[in-house]
Amino acid sequence: MKQRDTPFDDPTARFEAGRFGMWLFLIALGIVFAATILGYLVVRIDNGAAFVPADAPRPPGMLLASTVALLLSSVTMQKALRAGRTGDPRQGGLMVATLALALIFLVAQLMAWRSLYAQNLTISDNLYGWTFYVLTGLHAAHVIGGLPPMAITTWRASRGAYGPEDFRGVTYCAMYWHFLDAVWLVLYATLWIGSMG
Amino acid sequence: MTTLDSRPITPEVRDNYLTFTRGLLSWIFTLDHKRIGVMYLFAVLSSFFVGGVMALLVRTKLLFPGKVEWMTADEYNKAFTLHGAIMVFLVIIPSIPAALGNFIMPIMLGAKDVAFPRLNLFSFYLWVLGATCAVWSLLAGGFDTGWTFYTPYSTQFGAGGTIPVLVGVFILGFSSIFTGVNFIVTIHKLRPPGMTWFRMPLFLWALYATAIIQVLATPVLGITVALLVVERAFNIGIFDPSMGGDPVLFQHFFWFYSHPAVYIMILPGMGIISEIISVHSHRHIFGFRFIAFSSIAIAIFSFLVWGHHMFTSGQSPLMNVVFSAITFSVAIPSAVKVFNWLATLYKGSIALNTPMLYGLSFIFLFTIGGLTGIPLAVLSTDIHLHDTYYVVAHFHYVMMGSALIAMIGGLHHWWPKMFGVMYNEFWGKIACGLVFVGFNLTFFTQFMLGSQGMPRRYYMYQPEFKIYHHISTGGAYIMSIGFLITAIYLIYSLFAGKKAPANPWGGASLEWQCTSPPPHDNFATTPRVGDCYDFSAVRWDEKEQGYVLDTEAHLAAAATGKGH
Repeated sequence: MKQRDTPFDDPTARFEAGRFGMWLFLIALGIVFAATILGYLVVRIDNGAAFVPADAPRPPGMLLASTVALLLSSVTMQKALRAGRTGDPRQGGLMVATLALALIFLVAQLMAWRSLYAQNLTISDNLYGWTFYVLTGLHAAHVIGGLPPMAITTWRASRGAYGPEDFRGVTYCAMYWHFLDAVWLVLYATLWIGSMG
Repeated sequence: MTTLDSRPITPEVRDNYLTFTRGLLSWIFTLDHKRIGVMYLFAVLSSFFVGGVMALLVRTKLLFPGKVEWMTADEYNKAFTLHGAIMVFLVIIPSIPAALGNFIMPIMLGAKDVAFPRLNLFSFYLWVLGATCAVWSLLAGGFDTGWTFYTPYSTQFGAGGTIPVLVGVFILGFSSIFTGVNFIVTIHKLRPPGMTWFRMPLFLWALYATAIIQVLATPVLGITVALLVVERAFNIGIFDPSMGGDPVLFQHFFWFYSHPAVYIMILPGMGIISEIISVHSHRHIFGFRFIAFSSIAIAIFSFLVWGHHMFTSGQSPLMNVVFSAITFSVAIPSAVKVFNWLATLYKGSIALNTPMLYGLSFIFLFTIGGLTGIPLAVLSTDIHLHDTYYVVAHFHYVMMGSALIAMIGGLHHWWPKMFGVMYNEFWGKIACGLVFVGFNLTFFTQFMLGSQGMPRRYYMYQPEFKIYHHISTGGAYIMSIGFLITAIYLIYSLFAGKKAPANPWGGASLEWQCTSPPPHDNFATTPRVGDCYDFSAVRWDEKEQGYVLDTEAHLAAAATGKGH
């Protein structure tokens, strides 16, 4: 016997409940990042100029490239959502583009890490390096965590699964994705300002 | 007359949620909130057993002031740490919301399930994974940091199982967050027509307030233990003072979660007590709105008082004063509840059933627990009492004497509903009496120990404290006998208990209007809702051997505002 996976008889009510739940989840994740940034600010401000070692590299330029990739992925995600809402067959292609940009973002982050590592900034020498790797790593972990649901949504979109009656999956993906985008901008700005001596 | 027509809304059903489908897989992959609730219940009570054994080991060691051969000081540290961590993270936090709440809440709402059944099952398996990490930690050498994981001990020293248990706490945190999200959405979106916020049972108000804390506070714990893991792994981090970090920052982060967490533990218990007191005294709850809003007030205050755990940490005197003042104000909503429960009892027709005995125990023990918190909120006396047995006694009165006693009371209250059988009332009362007496012997003596200067967590002690420790340990043994009896008669009732009627206590909220045990769908149609604390239309029915609610009269009374 197939189990009932929702208590809602009305699909609209189900969708509204889902979006509400997603908002609550994003609030919880927002608090995770807010607390992390707060912790960073406390040690950054406590230590003053001494926080940034004299020979420490600034955040690498590669981060600009990753930021652009992430912003673009938010754009394609939003277009995919619109396509999903109207049943537009381009939804599949747009989701593939979003997924590809997400991967590009992760590769760019990795290259940024490598470039810092090549300049002798490691996680275990000082708090400047530790906070950089931990904060960007925390964000990257959330991007990676988003990939499986993203992949499922892409697969479903490429079969044209989303239309005016049901665009739940692509909506939840878009909410999560825009959230990560916004978090990254705040994080990037914080790290960049924090790296000034 | 109409009495016999007002049978439970759900027509006679042969199937119930226990027999709906069969086989182990039908439980492992179930999406039914009732089965998930029962699985949580089993898991939580098993953990309670393990945590209880640890407590008995600790208490048994403390019969002897000096060294004992069978338990070294290191093992003692691990035993009390394990006791604390298990009881907090695996037992009390999930006990009422995830076990009883999961089972009862959707039925109280007249809904078919929680808003997200898959997420609900996922939360349960996160709990299992978190508990597995605790076992992994034991295999990796255990942990001895105390349940608070204070740095720098937890990052630079500590036993080998520290990282696994931190990973476990992280996972359990997310289990708790998902339960909270699920409950908030359920209460917002699945209330039946006619159930306004002020027609909603107080247990649900309490769960709602709890869920808000779970969603807003738990993320901070998650990231804090994650940062601890990274710090321990790389031997550097923002809590490490030698590198410019701040160990007191850890305490702020930890208590920003862990203080609200004590309200995650106590608020659902208060919700249960509101139900028990009203139903078993057959009297409309007094001051509904005051009790409802006091839950929300406690939830809000809970975020503003974490610094009272840190009066001796060297935080600024101004902050100490502010935190102390706000801490006093928590007494107001707490007292509002106690006075309203007492007013509900006044002139009520009190039935001293086992749930009611636990309910009355709660009021007594919570009052002691609350009032003994005041000397800890006072800055000058806290300096003396900080880190002594006085603190241990205080939080056991609140966490165990209140939260856990409420959980056991609620378990008895809803046991007939959950499993369709009655437990043995005689042994129920005996066990409750033993637990009550044992509890007070155990922990009241600890107030005296602490005020005379006995520090908490110590392996050895001065000979003059011996008599108190002996009484305390004796009380712990009496309590365990009470719990053992409870376990025996509850398990026995599953096999040989008398069949339970739909409404054994005379309740008027929706869960008493479906059969015991409930059918898979809870209700065939969305039920109509009256005033769940108006018992004027509840009558004893000899043929049912239980109470029946005259639905029409009940709804009519609600429509005219009678009985409110």
